Amino acid sequence: MTAWRNSIIALALPLLCACGITARMEPYKETDAVIAAGEHIVVLARKQHATHEAEEDFVQCISDGLAKGSDGLDVHSSKEFEDKMYPWFEPSTAPLSTEDLSTLLERPGVLDQVKETGVRYVVWLDGSTDRVASGGGITCAAGVGGAGCMGLAWWEDDSRYDATVWDIQDVESEGTIHADVKGRSVMPAIIIPIPLVTHPQAHACRGLADQLRQFLTTPGGYEAERRRNRDVG
Amino acid sequence: MIRLMPLMLQARSRRLWSAVIAGACLSGCGSTQVIVESTFPVPLIEPLPLRMGLLIPDELYNFIYTEDIPDQSLWTIALGDANVAMLEPLFKRMFLEVTEVEGVPLAGGAVALDGVIEPKLEKFEFDVPIGERDEFVEVWMQYQITIYEPDGATVLQWPVSGYGKSELLRDQEDAVQRAAIVAMREAGATISTKFSEQPQIKEWLGGKGYGTPVTAGPQAAAADSSSGDSASTAPSQ
Repeated sequence: MTAWRNSIIALALPLLCACGITARMEPYKETDAVIAAGEHIVVLARKQHATHEAEEDFVQCISDGLAKGSDGLDVHSSKEFEDKMYPWFEPSTAPLSTEDLSTLLERPGVLDQVKETGVRYVVWLDGSTDRVASGGGITCAAGVGGAGCMGLAWWEDDSRYDATVWDIQDVESEGTIHADVKGRSVMPAIIIPIPLVTHPQAHACRGLADQLRQFLTTPGGYEAERRRNRDVG
Repeated sequence: MIRLMPLMLQARSRRLWSAVIAGACLSGCGSTQVIVESTFPVPLIEPLPLRMGLLIPDELYNFIYTEDIPDQSLWTIALGDANVAMLEPLFKRMFLEVTEVEGVPLAGGAVALDGVIEPKLEKFEFDVPIGERDEFVEVWMQYQITIYEPDGATVLQWPVSGYGKSELLRDQEDAVQRAAIVAMREAGATISTKFSEQPQIKEWLGGKGYGTPVTAGPQAAAADSSSGDSASTAPSQ
C-alpha cells in the first residue's frame, strides 16, 4: 500500500511541476499623467487585424478589473462609447495613431461628443490568447468489468496583450503595458482523467488591470523619471 | 423627412417570419435560422445640404439569404429588418432632408428633390468554423448604393462592402448575428464617411452649386474646421 502511495506521489509531483504559469509584465509610461476625479476611461479592442483581436470577454474583464473596489476608476462602457462615437471607432475608421486621433477630434461635433462621455483616457487592447503547443494523448476503454482511461495530455496557451493608453484631452500616447502570460496545463489519466488546468488569460487580465490602475493613478513614469534624472544631472 | 410606415413594416415583418418558418418546415431537421435584429447608432457627421428621396426596394426589406452547407445544415439568415434599422437613420443623418419615394423618375411635387438614393444588398457571404481551433465566424456583405437624378439618370453606382467577425462563444447562430451586425456597421461607416469623397458625387454637387470641392460631409467638414471656414455647409446658390 505504501509502495502504491509513493508511486502515485512520484508520478503526481512532476505533473504538478509541469503545470504552471509564467508571466511577464512590461509597463512603459512616458508621462506623469494621472487620472483626475470625474475623468473616465474606456477600454477598446483593436480590431484591424485579420487573424486575431482581443476577445470581448477579455475587454470586459479589464473594464471590470479597473472599476472594481473602493478605489475603482470610472470606466465607460465600450459598446456605449463606440455607439456614441459612431462611425469613428469602427474597425475601418478607428484612429491608429495619435495623429489620426488629432485629425478625428477636429471633425465637427467629435470633441464635444467625447467631452459629453467624460472619457479622457482610451486604453487600446491589442493581442489574443492562442494555443501554442499541445501533445500527449489519453486512451479510454470500457468493458463488462468497468471503464477507465490511461495516458497524459498537455497543452500550452499564450496570452499576449498590449494595452496602450491615450490621453484624448492632450492628444498623446501615455505609454504601453505589455503582458505575456504562458500557461501549461496537463491532464493525466489513471482510470479517471484529472485536469490540472491553468488560465493564463485570467492571469493576464488581473495583471494588466492592476498595472493599468497603477499606471493611471501614479504620477511617475519611466520616461519622465529618466528625463528628471537627466535634467538634475 | 422619412415616413416610417409601421403597418407596412409589420406586414413585411410578418411576411419575413412566415418565410423563415416556412423555410424551417420545408427543410426539416438540420436547418439553422438567424434573424438579424439590432438597433444602430445615428452617425456623428455633418449632413450634406441635399434634399434626397429614399427608395428602399422590397428586396432590401425582405432580404433573406439561404445556403445549404454540405454536412452541416441549411442556413436561413434574415437581414431585412436590420437593413432598414441601419440605413434609415444613416441616410436621415447624412442629408439635410430625406423623403421616402416609390420610384424614379420622380413625379409631380417630388421633383424639387436634389436626387434619389437607392440602397440594395447585392452580395452576402458567411463562414462558420468547422474545426475546433477556428474561433471566428465571418460575414461579408456588399451593398450597392445608387444615386439618381430626379429624372432617373444615374449619377453614381457605388459598391460598399462590410466585413465583420465574431468569436464563437455560445452558439453559431448568435455568432453569425453578431458578425453580421459588425459587417453592417462597417458598411454604414463607409457610406457615411466616404460618400462625399466619391468623384462623381463631388462633380454632381459642384453641378448643383454646392461648390467643388465638396463643402459638406465628414471629410470636408474636417478640412473646413482646420481652415476656419465656418460657413462650410451653406449651399452657394
